[in-house]
Amino acid sequence: MNKKNLSAIILVSFFVGFVFNFLNPNGISLIREERVLEFADDDTSTMRNENEDSSAELSDTTFNNLSVSSPNYSENQPETLNPQAPEFKKPLAIKIDKAYQLYKQGVKFIDARMPDEFIEGHIKGAINIPFDGDESYRDILRNINKDEILVTYCSGTECDLSILLGDELFERGYKKVYIFFGGWNDWLEKGYPVSKGEQ
Amino acid sequence: MKKIFSNQFFLLMSRIIVAIVFIYAGAEKISDPKGFSQAIYNYRLFPIETINLLAITLPWLELVSGILLLFGISVKENATIIGTLLFVFIIAVAISMIRGLDIDCGCFGKGTPVGWRKLGENTLLLILCLALLAFDSTKFSLNGKNYD
Repeated sequence: MNKKNLSAIILVSFFVGFVFNFLNPNGISLIREERVLEFADDDTSTMRNENEDSSAELSDTTFNNLSVSSPNYSENQPETLNPQAPEFKKPLAIKIDKAYQLYKQGVKFIDARMPDEFIEGHIKGAINIPFDGDESYRDILRNINKDEILVTYCSGTECDLSILLGDELFERGYKKVYIFFGGWNDWLEKGYPVSKGEQ
Repeated sequence: MKKIFSNQFFLLMSRIIVAIVFIYAGAEKISDPKGFSQAIYNYRLFPIETINLLAITLPWLELVSGILLLFGISVKENATIIGTLLFVFIIAVAISMIRGLDIDCGCFGKGTPVGWRKLGENTLLLILCLALLAFDSTKFSLNGKNYD
Protein backbone atom coordinates (compact mmCIF):
# COMPACT_ATOMS: atom_id res chain seq x y z
CA MET A 1 0.00 0.00 0.00
CA ASN A 2 1.26 3.42 -0.97
CA LYS A 3 0.97 5.80 1.97
CA LYS A 4 1.58 8.78 -0.30
CA ASN A 5 -1.46 7.89 -2.40
CA LEU A 6 -3.50 7.31 0.73
CA SER A 7 -2.67 10.76 2.11
CA ALA A 8 -3.27 12.37 -1.29
CA ILE A 9 -6.76 10.85 -1.59
CA ILE A 10 -7.69 12.03 1.91
CA LEU A 11 -6.28 15.53 1.45
CA VAL A 12 -7.83 16.03 -2.00
CA SER A 13 -11.23 14.82 -0.71
CA PHE A 14 -11.07 17.20 2.26
CA PHE A 15 -10.00 20.08 0.03
CA VAL A 16 -12.82 19.46 -2.45
CA GLY A 17 -15.23 19.18 0.48
CA PHE A 18 -14.28 22.56 1.90
CA VAL A 19 -14.31 24.27 -1.50
CA PHE A 20 -17.67 22.75 -2.42
CA ASN A 21 -19.16 23.74 0.93
CA PHE A 22 -17.87 27.28 0.50
CA LEU A 23 -19.46 27.58 -2.96
CA ASN A 24 -22.63 25.66 -2.10
CA PRO A 25 -25.61 27.95 -1.32
CA ASN A 26 -26.80 25.27 1.12
CA GLY A 27 -23.36 24.98 2.67
CA ILE A 28 -22.95 24.86 6.45
CA SER A 29 -20.73 26.81 8.83
CA LEU A 30 -17.42 25.20 9.77
CA ILE A 31 -18.39 25.09 13.43
CA ARG A 32 -21.85 23.88 14.35
CA GLU A 33 -23.82 26.34 16.39
CA GLU A 34 -25.13 25.23 19.72
CA ARG A 35 -28.89 24.64 19.78
CA VAL A 36 -30.22 26.80 22.60
CA LEU A 37 -33.30 25.22 24.10
CA GLU A 38 -35.50 27.73 25.83
CA PHE A 39 -38.10 26.81 28.39
CA ALA A 40 -41.47 28.49 28.61
CA ASP A 41 -41.94 31.01 31.42
CA ASP A 42 -43.39 28.90 34.18
CA ASP A 43 -41.10 25.96 33.40
CA THR A 44 -37.94 27.95 33.86
CA SER A 45 -38.05 27.86 37.63
CA THR A 46 -38.80 24.16 37.62
CA MET A 47 -35.91 23.56 35.30
CA ARG A 48 -33.55 25.63 37.41
CA ASN A 49 -34.48 23.73 40.54
CA GLU A 50 -34.03 20.39 38.87
CA ASN A 51 -30.72 21.45 37.43
CA GLU A 52 -29.39 22.00 40.90
CA ASP A 53 -30.40 18.52 41.94
CA SER A 54 -29.62 16.53 38.87
CA SER A 55 -27.17 18.41 36.72
CA ALA A 56 -25.06 15.28 36.32
CA GLU A 57 -28.01 13.31 35.08
CA LEU A 58 -29.05 16.00 32.64
CA SER A 59 -25.56 16.39 31.28
CA ASP A 60 -25.73 12.91 29.79
CA THR A 61 -29.07 13.26 28.10
CA THR A 62 -30.23 14.47 24.77
CA PHE A 63 -29.79 17.96 25.98
CA ASN A 64 -26.10 17.56 26.73
CA ASN A 65 -25.17 19.87 23.90
CA LEU A 66 -27.99 22.25 24.52
CA SER A 67 -27.99 25.14 26.84
CA VAL A 68 -30.95 26.33 28.76
CA SER A 69 -31.68 30.00 28.83
CA SER A 70 -34.43 32.21 30.02
CA PRO A 71 -37.51 32.59 27.85
CA ASN A 72 -37.32 34.90 24.88
CA TYR A 73 -40.60 36.67 25.26
CA SER A 74 -41.40 39.17 27.89
CA GLU A 75 -45.13 38.89 28.42
CA ASN A 76 -46.08 38.40 32.03
CA GLN A 77 -49.36 36.67 31.41
CA PRO A 78 -49.42 32.93 30.79
CA GLU A 79 -49.75 33.44 27.05
CA THR A 80 -49.36 29.73 26.35
CA LEU A 81 -52.90 29.19 27.48
CA ASN A 82 -54.22 31.86 25.25
CA PRO A 83 -54.84 30.96 21.60
CA GLN A 84 -54.20 34.58 20.73
CA ALA A 85 -50.74 34.28 22.26
CA PRO A 86 -47.90 36.10 20.54
CA GLU A 87 -45.72 34.08 18.22
CA PHE A 88 -42.53 32.63 19.65
CA LYS A 89 -39.10 33.47 18.38
CA LYS A 90 -38.34 29.76 18.40
CA PRO A 91 -40.01 26.59 19.72
CA LEU A 92 -40.19 26.57 23.51
CA ALA A 93 -39.62 23.59 25.75
CA ILE A 94 -42.16 22.58 28.39
CA LYS A 95 -42.32 19.88 31.01
CA ILE A 96 -45.03 17.45 32.03
CA ASP A 97 -47.19 19.79 34.14
CA LYS A 98 -47.44 22.43 31.48
CA ALA A 99 -47.95 19.79 28.80
CA TYR A 100 -50.91 18.35 30.69
CA GLN A 101 -52.30 21.82 31.24
CA LEU A 102 -52.23 22.42 27.48
CA TYR A 103 -53.62 18.94 26.80
CA LYS A 104 -56.64 19.66 28.97
CA GLN A 105 -57.30 22.74 26.88
CA GLY A 106 -57.42 20.67 23.71
CA VAL A 107 -54.07 21.68 22.27
CA LYS A 108 -52.90 19.40 19.46
CA PHE A 109 -50.11 16.99 20.36
CA ILE A 110 -47.81 15.67 17.66
CA ASP A 111 -45.92 12.41 18.19
CA ALA A 112 -42.55 12.54 16.40
CA ARG A 113 -41.71 8.87 17.00
CA MET A 114 -41.83 6.10 14.40
CA PRO A 115 -45.30 4.72 13.40
CA ASP A 116 -44.79 1.35 15.16
CA GLU A 117 -44.07 3.08 18.46
CA PHE A 118 -47.06 5.36 17.93
CA ILE A 119 -49.35 2.38 17.33
CA GLU A 120 -47.99 0.68 20.45
CA GLY A 121 -49.17 3.60 22.53
CA HIS A 122 -49.41 7.38 22.40
CA ILE A 123 -50.93 10.39 24.10
CA LYS A 124 -54.68 10.19 23.53
CA GLY A 125 -55.72 12.33 20.59
CA ALA A 126 -52.15 12.90 19.36
CA ILE A 127 -51.32 12.68 15.69
CA ASN A 128 -48.22 10.99 14.32
CA ILE A 129 -45.69 12.87 12.21
CA PRO A 130 -42.58 10.68 12.44
CA PHE A 131 -39.37 12.59 11.91
CA ASP A 132 -37.80 10.05 9.58
CA GLY A 133 -37.53 11.91 6.31
CA ASP A 134 -40.81 10.52 4.96
CA GLU A 135 -42.49 13.57 3.51
CA SER A 136 -45.88 11.89 3.05
CA TYR A 137 -46.73 12.44 6.70
CA ARG A 138 -46.29 16.16 6.22
CA ASP A 139 -49.62 16.16 4.31
CA ILE A 140 -51.34 16.06 7.68
CA LEU A 141 -50.11 19.59 8.22
CA ARG A 142 -52.44 20.91 5.52
CA ASN A 143 -55.32 20.51 7.95
CA ILE A 144 -53.57 22.37 10.74
CA ASN A 145 -53.91 26.10 11.00
CA LYS A 146 -50.60 27.93 11.28
CA ASP A 147 -51.93 29.91 14.26
CA GLU A 148 -52.67 26.76 16.21
CA ILE A 149 -50.65 25.91 19.31
CA LEU A 150 -48.80 22.62 18.82
CA VAL A 151 -46.88 20.37 21.17
CA THR A 152 -44.32 17.93 19.82
CA TYR A 153 -43.04 14.99 21.82
CA CYS A 154 -41.01 11.80 21.48
CA SER A 155 -40.12 8.99 23.85
CA GLY A 156 -38.51 11.00 26.64
CA THR A 157 -35.45 12.98 27.54
CA GLU A 158 -33.15 10.64 25.61
CA CYS A 159 -34.62 11.49 22.22
CA ASP A 160 -34.53 14.62 20.14
CA LEU A 161 -37.07 13.87 17.42
CA SER A 162 -39.47 16.27 19.13
CA ILE A 163 -36.88 19.06 18.93
CA LEU A 164 -36.15 18.35 15.28
CA LEU A 165 -39.84 18.21 14.39
CA GLY A 166 -40.53 21.32 16.47
CA ASP A 167 -37.82 23.20 14.59
CA GLU A 168 -39.12 21.96 11.25
CA LEU A 169 -42.70 22.98 12.05
CA PHE A 170 -41.44 26.36 13.15
CA GLU A 171 -39.59 26.80 9.87
CA ARG A 172 -42.79 25.84 8.03
CA GLY A 173 -44.63 28.72 9.63
CA TYR A 174 -46.09 27.23 12.81
CA LYS A 175 -45.00 29.89 15.25
CA LYS A 176 -46.55 28.51 18.43
CA VAL A 177 -44.73 25.23 18.83
CA TYR A 178 -43.88 23.68 22.19
CA ILE A 179 -41.44 20.84 22.67
CA PHE A 180 -42.56 18.54 25.43
CA PHE A 181 -39.36 17.64 27.31
CA GLY A 182 -39.98 14.29 28.99
CA GLY A 183 -42.42 13.13 26.34
CA TRP A 184 -44.09 9.76 26.29
CA ASN A 185 -42.19 8.33 29.29
CA ASP A 186 -43.21 11.16 31.63
CA TRP A 187 -46.78 11.06 30.33
CA LEU A 188 -47.04 7.34 30.93
CA GLU A 189 -45.50 7.63 34.38
CA LYS A 190 -48.11 10.20 35.39
CA GLY A 191 -50.93 7.96 34.17
CA TYR A 192 -52.41 10.58 31.87
CA PRO A 193 -54.77 9.55 29.02
CA VAL A 194 -53.23 7.32 26.39
CA SER A 195 -54.52 5.26 23.50
CA LYS A 196 -53.27 2.51 21.20
CA GLY A 197 -53.54 1.92 17.47
CA GLU A 198 -53.44 4.38 14.62
CA GLN A 199 -55.89 6.81 16.17
CA MET B 1 -12.04 -19.73 2.17
CA LYS B 2 -8.86 -18.01 1.04
CA LYS B 3 -9.50 -19.32 -2.47
CA ILE B 4 -12.87 -17.54 -2.59
CA PHE B 5 -11.58 -14.27 -1.16
CA SER B 6 -8.60 -14.20 -3.53
CA ASN B 7 -10.70 -15.00 -6.59
CA GLN B 8 -10.46 -12.05 -8.99
CA PHE B 9 -14.15 -12.17 -9.93
CA PHE B 10 -15.13 -12.11 -6.27
CA LEU B 11 -12.78 -9.18 -5.74
CA LEU B 12 -14.17 -7.37 -8.77
CA MET B 13 -17.72 -7.83 -7.51
CA SER B 14 -16.67 -6.68 -4.03
CA ARG B 15 -15.06 -3.61 -5.52
CA ILE B 16 -18.18 -2.72 -7.50
CA ILE B 17 -20.56 -3.30 -4.57
CA VAL B 18 -18.50 -1.30 -2.05
CA ALA B 19 -17.87 1.45 -4.60
CA ILE B 20 -21.53 1.87 -5.58
CA VAL B 21 -22.66 1.91 -1.95
CA PHE B 22 -20.13 4.59 -1.05
CA ILE B 23 -20.69 6.70 -4.17
CA TYR B 24 -24.42 6.72 -3.42
CA ALA B 25 -23.93 7.36 0.30
CA GLY B 26 -21.43 10.17 -0.34
CA ALA B 27 -23.59 11.86 -2.98
CA GLU B 28 -26.68 11.66 -0.76
CA LYS B 29 -24.85 13.32 2.13
CA ILE B 30 -23.31 15.98 -0.09
CA SER B 31 -26.80 16.94 -1.26
CA ASP B 32 -27.94 17.56 2.33
CA PRO B 33 -25.04 18.77 4.50
CA LYS B 34 -27.36 20.14 7.15
CA GLY B 35 -29.14 16.80 7.49
CA PHE B 36 -25.85 14.92 7.73
CA SER B 37 -24.55 17.35 10.35
CA GLN B 38 -27.70 16.65 12.37
CA ALA B 39 -27.24 12.90 11.90
CA ILE B 40 -23.67 13.07 13.26
CA TYR B 41 -24.85 15.24 16.13
CA ASN B 42 -27.54 12.69 17.01
CA TYR B 43 -24.90 10.06 17.78
CA ARG B 44 -23.63 12.26 20.62
CA LEU B 45 -20.14 10.90 20.21
CA PHE B 46 -18.24 13.87 18.86
CA PRO B 47 -17.54 17.34 20.26
CA ILE B 48 -19.91 19.90 18.75
CA GLU B 49 -16.96 21.82 17.24
CA THR B 50 -16.01 18.85 15.05
CA ILE B 51 -19.46 17.91 13.77
CA ASN B 52 -19.70 20.26 10.81
CA LEU B 53 -16.09 19.59 9.82
CA LEU B 54 -16.95 15.90 9.61
CA ALA B 55 -20.18 16.67 7.75
CA ILE B 56 -18.26 18.70 5.18
CA THR B 57 -15.35 16.33 4.57
CA LEU B 58 -16.57 12.75 5.16
CA PRO B 59 -19.07 12.60 2.26
CA TRP B 60 -16.40 13.69 -0.20
CA LEU B 61 -13.98 11.11 1.17
CA GLU B 62 -16.68 8.49 0.62
CA LEU B 63 -17.47 9.72 -2.88
CA VAL B 64 -13.86 10.09 -4.06
CA SER B 65 -12.80 6.73 -2.59
CA GLY B 66 -15.88 5.09 -4.08
CA ILE B 67 -15.20 6.44 -7.57
CA LEU B 68 -11.50 5.50 -7.46
CA LEU B 69 -12.39 2.04 -6.17
CA LEU B 70 -14.92 1.54 -8.95
CA PHE B 71 -12.27 2.21 -11.57
CA GLY B 72 -9.72 0.09 -9.75
CA ILE B 73 -7.41 2.99 -8.98
CA SER B 74 -5.34 2.57 -5.80
CA VAL B 75 -7.61 -0.25 -4.68
CA LYS B 76 -5.73 -1.05 -1.48
CA GLU B 77 -5.56 2.58 -0.40
CA ASN B 78 -9.25 3.17 -1.03
CA ALA B 79 -10.20 -0.12 0.59
CA THR B 80 -8.23 1.06 3.64
CA ILE B 81 -10.07 4.39 3.74
CA ILE B 82 -13.51 2.85 3.28
CA GLY B 83 -12.70 -0.01 5.65
CA THR B 84 -11.66 2.47 8.34
CA LEU B 85 -14.84 4.48 7.82
CA LEU B 86 -16.91 1.29 8.06
CA PHE B 87 -15.13 0.30 11.25
CA VAL B 88 -15.93 3.70 12.78
CA PHE B 89 -19.56 3.42 11.59
CA ILE B 90 -19.90 -0.05 13.13
CA ILE B 91 -18.58 1.21 16.48
CA ALA B 92 -20.86 4.27 16.35
CA VAL B 93 -23.96 2.22 15.51
CA ALA B 94 -23.11 -0.36 18.20
CA ILE B 95 -22.62 2.33 20.86
CA SER B 96 -25.93 3.94 19.88
CA MET B 97 -27.70 0.59 20.16
CA ILE B 98 -26.17 -0.08 23.57
CA ARG B 99 -27.21 3.38 24.72
CA GLY B 100 -30.70 2.73 23.39
CA LEU B 101 -30.69 5.75 21.10
CA ASP B 102 -33.57 5.76 18.65
CA ILE B 103 -31.85 7.74 15.91
CA ASP B 104 -31.45 7.82 12.18
CA CYS B 105 -28.09 6.34 11.14
CA GLY B 106 -27.42 9.09 8.58
CA CYS B 107 -26.04 6.51 6.17
CA PHE B 108 -28.11 7.24 3.07
CA GLY B 109 -29.89 10.45 3.86
CA LYS B 110 -32.83 10.18 6.24
CA GLY B 111 -34.95 7.16 7.01
CA THR B 112 -32.47 4.43 7.97
CA PRO B 113 -32.55 3.78 11.70
CA VAL B 114 -29.58 2.34 13.57
CA GLY B 115 -30.05 -1.33 14.39
CA TRP B 116 -28.85 -4.86 13.80
CA ARG B 117 -29.53 -4.64 10.08
CA LYS B 118 -27.27 -1.64 9.68
CA LEU B 119 -24.63 -3.35 11.80
CA GLY B 120 -24.82 -6.46 9.57
CA GLU B 121 -24.61 -4.47 6.33
CA ASN B 122 -21.58 -2.55 7.52
CA THR B 123 -19.84 -5.71 8.73
CA LEU B 124 -20.41 -7.37 5.36
CA LEU B 125 -18.98 -4.37 3.53
CA LEU B 126 -16.02 -4.31 5.92
CA ILE B 127 -15.28 -7.98 5.10
CA LEU B 128 -15.31 -7.13 1.37
CA CYS B 129 -12.91 -4.23 2.05
CA LEU B 130 -10.56 -6.48 4.01
CA ALA B 131 -10.54 -8.94 1.10
CA LEU B 132 -9.68 -6.10 -1.30
CA LEU B 133 -6.95 -4.91 1.04
CA ALA B 134 -5.47 -8.38 1.39
CA PHE B 135 -5.65 -9.53 -2.24
CA ASP B 136 -6.09 -6.36 -4.33
CA SER B 137 -8.32 -6.32 -7.41
CA THR B 138 -6.68 -5.79 -10.77
CA LYS B 139 -9.49 -6.88 -13.09
CA PHE B 140 -10.90 -4.05 -15.22
CA SER B 141 -8.64 -1.74 -13.36
CA LEU B 142 -7.40 1.55 -14.78
CA ASN B 143 -4.05 1.19 -13.06
CA GLY B 144 -3.93 -2.57 -12.60
CA LYS B 145 -1.77 -5.05 -14.43
CA ASN B 146 -4.65 -7.04 -15.85
CA TYR B 147 -7.06 -5.31 -18.25
CA ASP B 148 -9.04 -8.38 -19.42
